[in-house]
Amino acid sequence: MIVTLTDVAYAYPGTSLPALRDVSFELRAGSFTLVAGPSAGGKSTLLRLLNGLVPQFHGGRLTGAIRVAGFDPTRTPTRRLATLAGMVFQEPEAQAVTDSVDDEIAFGMEQQGLPPKEMRQRIDALLASCGIDHLRGRRLATLSGGERQRVAIAAVLALEPRLLLLDEPTSQLDQAGAEAVLGVVAALHRKRGLTVLAAEHRLERLLPVVDAVLGVDNGRVEPMAPRVAAAHLRAVPPVCDIGRRLQLQPLPLSLAEARAALAARHLTSAARPRPAVPGDELLRVEGLIVRYGAVPALANASFSLPEGEIVALMGANGSGKSTLLRAIAGLVPATSGQVFLRGRAAPPSVQARTVLAGLVPQDPAVALYRDTVRDEIAETLRHRHLARPADRVLERWGLAELADRNPRDLSVGQQQRAAIGAMLAHEPSLWLLDEPTRGVDAAARDELAARLRAHAAAGGAALVATHDVESAARYATRVVGLQAGLVRFDMLAAAAFHRDGPVPTQAARLVPGAILPEDVLLLDAPLFSSPEVAGGR
Amino acid sequence: MHTLAWVAWVVLVMAVALTASNPFYLGIVLLSVLLVAALAPRTSNAAVASFRMLLVGGLALVFLSLVVALVNGSGGGHVLFTIPGPRVPEWLGGLRVGGPVTGEGLVAAAIRGLAILCVVLAFGVFNGAVSPHRVLRTAPAALFHAGLVVTIGLTLLPATVDDIRRLREMRALRGAPGGVRHLPALVVPAVTGGLERSMRLAEAMEARGYAAGGPPARLPALLGALSAPLLLAGAWGWYYYPGSRPLAGLAALAGVAALTAWLALSARGRHTTRLQSEPLTFVDRLCVAAALLFALSAVGGQVTGWVDLRYNPFAGLLPPDFTLAGGLIALACAWPTLPLALAPSRAAAAAEATPVGEPVRP
Repeated sequence: MIVTLTDVAYAYPGTSLPALRDVSFELRAGSFTLVAGPSAGGKSTLLRLLNGLVPQFHGGRLTGAIRVAGFDPTRTPTRRLATLAGMVFQEPEAQAVTDSVDDEIAFGMEQQGLPPKEMRQRIDALLASCGIDHLRGRRLATLSGGERQRVAIAAVLALEPRLLLLDEPTSQLDQAGAEAVLGVVAALHRKRGLTVLAAEHRLERLLPVVDAVLGVDNGRVEPMAPRVAAAHLRAVPPVCDIGRRLQLQPLPLSLAEARAALAARHLTSAARPRPAVPGDELLRVEGLIVRYGAVPALANASFSLPEGEIVALMGANGSGKSTLLRAIAGLVPATSGQVFLRGRAAPPSVQARTVLAGLVPQDPAVALYRDTVRDEIAETLRHRHLARPADRVLERWGLAELADRNPRDLSVGQQQRAAIGAMLAHEPSLWLLDEPTRGVDAAARDELAARLRAHAAAGGAALVATHDVESAARYATRVVGLQAGLVRFDMLAAAAFHRDGPVPTQAARLVPGAILPEDVLLLDAPLFSSPEVAGGR
Repeated sequence: MHTLAWVAWVVLVMAVALTASNPFYLGIVLLSVLLVAALAPRTSNAAVASFRMLLVGGLALVFLSLVVALVNGSGGGHVLFTIPGPRVPEWLGGLRVGGPVTGEGLVAAAIRGLAILCVVLAFGVFNGAVSPHRVLRTAPAALFHAGLVVTIGLTLLPATVDDIRRLREMRALRGAPGGVRHLPALVVPAVTGGLERSMRLAEAMEARGYAAGGPPARLPALLGALSAPLLLAGAWGWYYYPGSRPLAGLAALAGVAALTAWLALSARGRHTTRLQSEPLTFVDRLCVAAALLFALSAVGGQVTGWVDLRYNPFAGLLPPDFTLAGGLIALACAWPTLPLALAPSRAAAAAEATPVGEPVRP
């Protein structure tokens, strides 16, 4: 056993509530384990426990016994621990110590005093095995997020640790970047027999390949087999959801398994509700061009958005999604083209535009700068000259239980909720959301989808820039695809998420016509398997 | 240019700017610093932004220095005008509010501001030209904690500038009025955010084994602690008790010896290597030596009276002197322009420094 925890409990300094309690489990050498569970449940703390950062860097009270590769991480110097358990963090920017790829990979080895010749050899081998040979000698500032995370993995592996810890390494990345990073991790585990422990929200990529799952919720850790996890976890990928609804045994973990299990069955899709008839035009964008220096970020974007519609704005990194939202809010000046709000040319100032079109930026931590969530709401109400009490607004956005918390101490998902409440507290009719489901757990994603649908039903509209196809399918009525600053497609949700559409969902790939897991129905089985399906539609 | 050469240049600018009070020499220093700033390589766009901020801050300091001179009043014969103000009792240590404003006072304030501007800008150029990582690598092992603090400090400034820009956007999105008046509301969250980011960096560095190797040994710690009082005592004795100069010299020597021993002993406990040591070329060595020589002559010249960079406006506002030796010492602050202009890789380095595919934000 490479990792053994016995009756471990831990509380951060200054808190009485334990972050982890009654934790006992073992990990086999060479195993690949997924750490799953909602935000703020204790996943990060658990990983930090294994490489000694908790409690050596963070302090706090710890009881119980921990063994990692024969060492006690609470007593072993972190310098030694770095060669036992390597850790990759969430943000690519906050873990780079140097400014070039080679130096970054060498940093840990320099600290251990390895001879330069050996460092060179290890760097060569790592660049190849992490699939980043082409990045040799590049400056870190010129790399994409996915590339930087692969450099971070190589940098950690340079010390040849027995255990690789990953703390949501893809939460800040787009789909392609996340695929590349998780692909490298899976390959390293397969080829080198590396022991991997990864906290991830993108379960669909990892669930089929891991040996075990640690379900972490509310400070408790429960080890289980992947199929047991697929049946018990609160949030599972769409294929597992479909399997659960159709009561498949064994539960499929991947699209291929689901296809095989359903090959001989008669599948159909539930009729989808018709989209509501859109109301008056709320936003119109005409020939918008935005340049940063000489590079056009938005080449020529035109579209309109009526009341009652939720548009998912999709496209790869750098396709101009954020720029479009920022240009509509007035944060970046347009080189040419115009923005109309409710038929009138939008006012020039950001303050005036956001009365009607509220923007929630990509990084919620930046949006929040007061000491409590209540102050955040009150700040917006004060600047908007609204007299309504902050507590009622907190209630409205589901933030009542977070009211007195410091936004900096919240999990990413909670921060995202607080940021949405703070930026939209004045109830603008148009919401501009930039990647609202990035790094957020499934419960928060579903809650956001419900909020967006309610907003549209009440006559509002929203423009949501996102990479997350499965979440978008839960709220979008229309999908606009951007590519290199141009609108590449603009179609209704049913067509866009369809199997033959540009952004098919997992359910659509399984059954033509279906979009959400609950749309998939079995004709040869009784329909009472899921109350939602039996009751509705 | 080698990191050490940059350090030597900053030391030179500091030495000249802080000993000189002759506006001619200070003007030459300022022009030299600006010239070096124009030629210096920039490690990132954020560094350019933080240099701009330092420039604005430096000019604000000059302005502040003039305002203080106005409010505080000053001595001297050339009274320009008089600001009415209350008489402050003598025992408050010469603090005055209002009173006659003299040409001498304003000139002295302007000179003070100019000197500060030179030093601030030199640090700005250094910050932009040398990546924090290079500084960290050059730091001796004994200065492990100092190296950590410096790295984090150097990442803090550009990150904070970036944070202030983003915070202004966030406030505008919430309908808050913009403008310079509201700048104080931005500073606290920006600094807190910057500190948090630094903590995360420190955590990541510790996770990768950047930590002191075990508890510090008793002897080096003792030597390190002893060196500072010995050096101070030496300097104190040298200046204030001319009779005991041999003893003071001995104390200073002992201090230097303790410092050297501390550096050597601490390095032994922490064995680190470098992937590629930055080669200290002959030209770099020459530059470092020349810079230190000029810095020494600026300070030494002042002490021995060999060259006088000072100017006293209170001696009747006479036109300042200008000597060739003083001018040369001030002009020495421009020496990095030579290696920078001669290095052919500047354009290539600049092209590489611009992120590919990532738009350059105006």
